[in-house]
Amino acid sequence: MEILSGFGNGLLVAIEPVNLLYCFVGVFLGTFIGVLPGIGSMAAISMLLPLTFYLEPTSALVMIAGVYYGAEYGGSIASILMNIPGTPSSSITCIDGYPMAREGRAGTALFASAVASFGGGIVGMIVMAVLAPGLAQLALNFGPTEYFAVILLGLVAASAVSNGSPVKGITMVVAGLMLGTVGVDITTGAERFTMGIPEMRDGVHLVIVAMGLFGVGELIVSIRANATGAHQNEIDYAQFYPTRAEWKAMFAPTVRGASIGSFFGALPGTGQTVASAVAYAVEKKVSPAKARFGKGAIEGVAVPEAANNSATQTAFIPTLTLGVPGSASMALVIGALMMYGIVPGPRLLVDHSDLFWGLVASFLIGNLLLLVLNIPLIGLWVRLLKIPYRYMYPTIIVLICVGVYSINNNVFDIWLTLAFGWAGYLMRLFRFEPAPFLIGFVLGPMMEEQLRRAMLLSRGDATVFVTRPISGTLIAITCLILIYAISSTLKARRARQKAQVAGE
Amino acid sequence: MKHIITLSAAALLLATAAHAEPGKWTDEPVRIVVTFPPGGTSDLIARLLAQYFETEYGQKAVVDNRPGAGGTVAADYVSEQAPDGTTLILGNNAPFTIAPTQFDELPYDPIADFTHIAYLGASTPALFVQPSSGITTLDGYIEKAKGDGITYGSSGVGSITHILGKAVDIELGIEQIHVPYQGSAPAIQDFRAGVLEAYYDMVALNGDLITEGETQPIALAAPERSAKYPDIPTFRELGHDIVIENWTGLSGPAGMDPAMVETINDTVAEIMQMPAVIEQLDTFGVAHTPMESDAFTGFVEGAITTWEPLIKAANVNG
Repeated sequence: MEILSGFGNGLLVAIEPVNLLYCFVGVFLGTFIGVLPGIGSMAAISMLLPLTFYLEPTSALVMIAGVYYGAEYGGSIASILMNIPGTPSSSITCIDGYPMAREGRAGTALFASAVASFGGGIVGMIVMAVLAPGLAQLALNFGPTEYFAVILLGLVAASAVSNGSPVKGITMVVAGLMLGTVGVDITTGAERFTMGIPEMRDGVHLVIVAMGLFGVGELIVSIRANATGAHQNEIDYAQFYPTRAEWKAMFAPTVRGASIGSFFGALPGTGQTVASAVAYAVEKKVSPAKARFGKGAIEGVAVPEAANNSATQTAFIPTLTLGVPGSASMALVIGALMMYGIVPGPRLLVDHSDLFWGLVASFLIGNLLLLVLNIPLIGLWVRLLKIPYRYMYPTIIVLICVGVYSINNNVFDIWLTLAFGWAGYLMRLFRFEPAPFLIGFVLGPMMEEQLRRAMLLSRGDATVFVTRPISGTLIAITCLILIYAISSTLKARRARQKAQVAGE
Repeated sequence: MKHIITLSAAALLLATAAHAEPGKWTDEPVRIVVTFPPGGTSDLIARLLAQYFETEYGQKAVVDNRPGAGGTVAADYVSEQAPDGTTLILGNNAPFTIAPTQFDELPYDPIADFTHIAYLGASTPALFVQPSSGITTLDGYIEKAKGDGITYGSSGVGSITHILGKAVDIELGIEQIHVPYQGSAPAIQDFRAGVLEAYYDMVALNGDLITEGETQPIALAAPERSAKYPDIPTFRELGHDIVIENWTGLSGPAGMDPAMVETINDTVAEIMQMPAVIEQLDTFGVAHTPMESDAFTGFVEGAITTWEPLIKAANVNG
């Protein structure tokens, strides 16, 4: 029962008034930053970094972690209300969250997102407490071959995400993959599609794509709709508490999303965005309500939120136990710890067990604080939608510009966002789905990188993908999904033909 | 008014002793541009400097992260700012010594468009192999590379560790299989997953792995052995003249006032001598070597020339 005593000690550390205070500061600031489009936890943590010099390591870590998962909570708010992803990973939440808001169910969507995030956070915390050493070991066994196999699985699942015509769906996945190739090729150093622009050497940032496609694109659509005389959504304030049926519909997806999220969070280099993308794709495949996905399904909000929040907690596993940061924000955590002379690595759990368990326990407290903080605020957030468009749109555009600029402190990125805004508008006009595009864009570059690396390491031998046990299993699952997908499509077609024949 | 007096006093001193009084050099807040996103060693050093500028000398300073395109975005930006001491860049080999050879078109000249103010120090990379491979010496490594061949991880195409790998290829007459990563952390992860046979990385960042026997250091690319890891031989003492260090230094736009450059240089030199700073830099594996403006400029020029054939051999330009 080492875990329980560890967690008990951690709880004592976490409820020390000073840690409690910094936990609150962290989650509050995180939520706020998350709501602002594009300004993610990265910016907030780097601004807080100098402050942490004056704190105890545990307080500092608790605060930074609070900002990190608080931002995921907040990120969904802008996604749902305005179709602007507050954080990259909440761009997936836009897909169903915004349609819900347009139906006047913004309150319900926000409530669902808060509850699912809480559920995800708690699952992530339990996974971290129970499995940290084991998961760290598993992550350690994940080489390029395994990464490729798991991403392939995600992408195959993602091919089911599109709602409309399959041709348009595939077109969008391929377009996403193609956009992902822009920039300096990681394997050879050759510049691809950079058109001689230095800013393009690092590729196109996800925030730019997401903010352009969803945020700016949506604005153009709305302005046009207003000009043609459409009305602002009517919202029923009283109803943000989900119905019994909605609670039931949310439960299993939240658990599934949280499990998938915990797994991807613990893998360095994948992170919350991949976690929510894959979780959404998988849910769309298994859900009984798959037809409603993309049109305001409450499951479509719960799944990515549960996944990205559990991933934020488990992201600390490789960071602390291996010293391998899974994301830029986690690299900041390592930087902060190194300032205290604490080197993250296998010995951290032993040498600084107070720090580790204090952090784990602070997840429980922080997530509770977030729930308490956010549920009462739902009414306030929803009221934001009542602001007349002539004030709201310029504000949103300013916030988008600030957010995009803050990534690299570069004006070029703002122009690029505008270009993607027009692309998003055109996509909407011609009914191309943004979801498969986004998922292809997120997963494509990573899949290519791992594939080529695996081939380099195996010296050109492609059989490694099936001979290594973990990757072999994953490839087998992928094949099963493909076979299932094809056969069920064929069956459905045959049934339809039969029905037609019978009808005649 | 006060800073003008300090400056003229500095100019006077310069005439006699060629040294300025460490202290504040402008009333405006100074921005230290960093070529990486927050969190890395470079960023932490910049934040450390900014903190000491303010607390010790009352010189307000903030860190401005402008990552992108191997540091060239940041360097380009700084080269276009006013040379009034309010915009500085914490430079390194990527934008100043690698980019000029790596990229066909560079929007700036690493020498003519900058005032190189103060060299801060360098950390050293080494060659590491799997402990399970049984290889403990460079000779053993050469044998393995010539026999079955060997795969090594670097922190990216055109990175300092890739260039070191190429230098080793050329100097030792072997052909290692290069596997690029985005930074050294994922390379080390794959190494520990057992899929990568060797890698090049900064020694200081591998301290724990070395002591726990998870990685076997073979040779160091420094001029001399490290005080902290005296057991690792240098390439040079093994008869191969390979010295490649990951340096960092403070520069500004071209045309800065020499007196101001002196002041900044001496302020930085004083900060770098403070025990707390030395200790902090030690955890990053950065050893400080004082080097003034002229010497630093010469150093950058020299590094561009020495590294050119290596970068070309690495064929990073497609």
